[in-house]
Amino acid sequence: MGLLTILKKMREKERELRLLVLGLDNAGKTTLLKRFNGEDVTGTAPTLGFNIKTLEHRGFKLNVWDVGGQSSLRSYWRNYFESTDGLVWVVDSGDRERLQLCGKELRGLLREERLAGATLLVFANKQDLPGALPASAIREALELDSIRSHHWCIQGCSAFTGHNLLPGIDWLLDDIASRVCPPD
Amino acid sequence: MQKMLMYLWGFLYNNYLRFWLKWLLRLLTQKCELQRVLEGSKAGARRTLSIEHSLESSKNKILRNAVHVEEAEVEKCVRDLMKEKKIKQKDTGFKTDLRISLLQISGYKKLYLNVEDLRKIPYDSDNEEHEDQLIELWNLLMPHENLKARITKQWCDIGFQGDDPKTDFRGMGLLGLMNLVYFSKRYTEEARQILSHSHHPKLGYSYAIVGINLTEMAYSLLKNGALKSHLYNMVFGLPQMEHFHQFYCYLVYEFDKFWFEEEPESIMHFNHYREKFHEKIKGLLLDCNVILTLGDTKKP
Repeated sequence: MGLLTILKKMREKERELRLLVLGLDNAGKTTLLKRFNGEDVTGTAPTLGFNIKTLEHRGFKLNVWDVGGQSSLRSYWRNYFESTDGLVWVVDSGDRERLQLCGKELRGLLREERLAGATLLVFANKQDLPGALPASAIREALELDSIRSHHWCIQGCSAFTGHNLLPGIDWLLDDIASRVCPPD
Repeated sequence: MQKMLMYLWGFLYNNYLRFWLKWLLRLLTQKCELQRVLEGSKAGARRTLSIEHSLESSKNKILRNAVHVEEAEVEKCVRDLMKEKKIKQKDTGFKTDLRISLLQISGYKKLYLNVEDLRKIPYDSDNEEHEDQLIELWNLLMPHENLKARITKQWCDIGFQGDDPKTDFRGMGLLGLMNLVYFSKRYTEEARQILSHSHHPKLGYSYAIVGINLTEMAYSLLKNGALKSHLYNMVFGLPQMEHFHQFYCYLVYEFDKFWFEEEPESIMHFNHYREKFHEKIKGLLLDCNVILTLGDTKKP
């Protein structure tokens, strides 16, 4: 193996990122993952355990972990924290009753040491549904502006239609890349 | 390279060779392909799958359209087909056999559409019928315990995710609920037994959520045609919604056994074992003689 190959291999390794998709149950995590992967999103069922998909996007190899959100599974979330580059927090923007719980769970995650270096992207999902709160209201309800520990961004989107997914993911990748991948 | 050769062979076979082969066989046996299939195999999946393939790859429009025939039109369709293929109308054996195969083929397509219609109806908590079925599910599974409220943590006891099951049906819609209710109603004892297994301290799982995942499995097997072998062996006529529910019951019963045999580390590995189980079922369905029914505990 020549020096160039080794360098190339190291470089490829650097461009491999780990994203963790979390949120309360019925937030739309699996639909988001499927849509991003170009799969059919109509026939979903609640996730027990986790899904993992490896996607190529903008030259990055993304290992995306989607872990079930029901309360009995949340205690397992910590098993998936290790070496996470980006945390994608998915919110059902129509689920007003649980917004407070949603914010509480998120703040809990941000205190986790093993997620300390991760960039946070919040998806205010289900904007295609009537009654969905706009991203600005979600931002306020989750008190995102008080976050000092992580780089963060909120993006209104619809995983079902695919609307505004890419701008969110692209911001996330840009932010991570500026930290972990040296510029070309 | 090998893939390309296979493709080339498939192309040549389907477009030229198949035609000449059929022509030659017809000359030798004095019979058309449909007659040869019906005489050469007994009723069931092997026969009906061959008939379906023969009709669908035919260049004749009457034959191609026969796979979509409505139940009321089937007699006429058989007569037209026989006329087209110059088969004597008094050949009643051929007539009866072809009729059954056509009912199976078009019935399967119809069943898929009906299942798809139910799947597309989202669970609606403002709809009284939907709510009644949900309550019925509870009463069937938990006969000795009353629901304290419509929105309550009790729903977790039968394996829903939170205090209101309405969002748990997801993309499976009403179909998921109807499957769950059917199993609990038709095989009440088995359902309660499996529910109690699902409370196992180490190997436990969420009963209703697993059920909805199995609805997804049954649905996708029906959708991609894998279920044809089972249904063509099982029903010598039009397959009905009942038969889809029955197959779902088989999946629930078998999955529970499979889960405890495999002893997964935790519920977090569910998807891995679900896929393994899915592969197992797909393998079983490849057998032309397969019939998958829930044990002999109670005959439908």
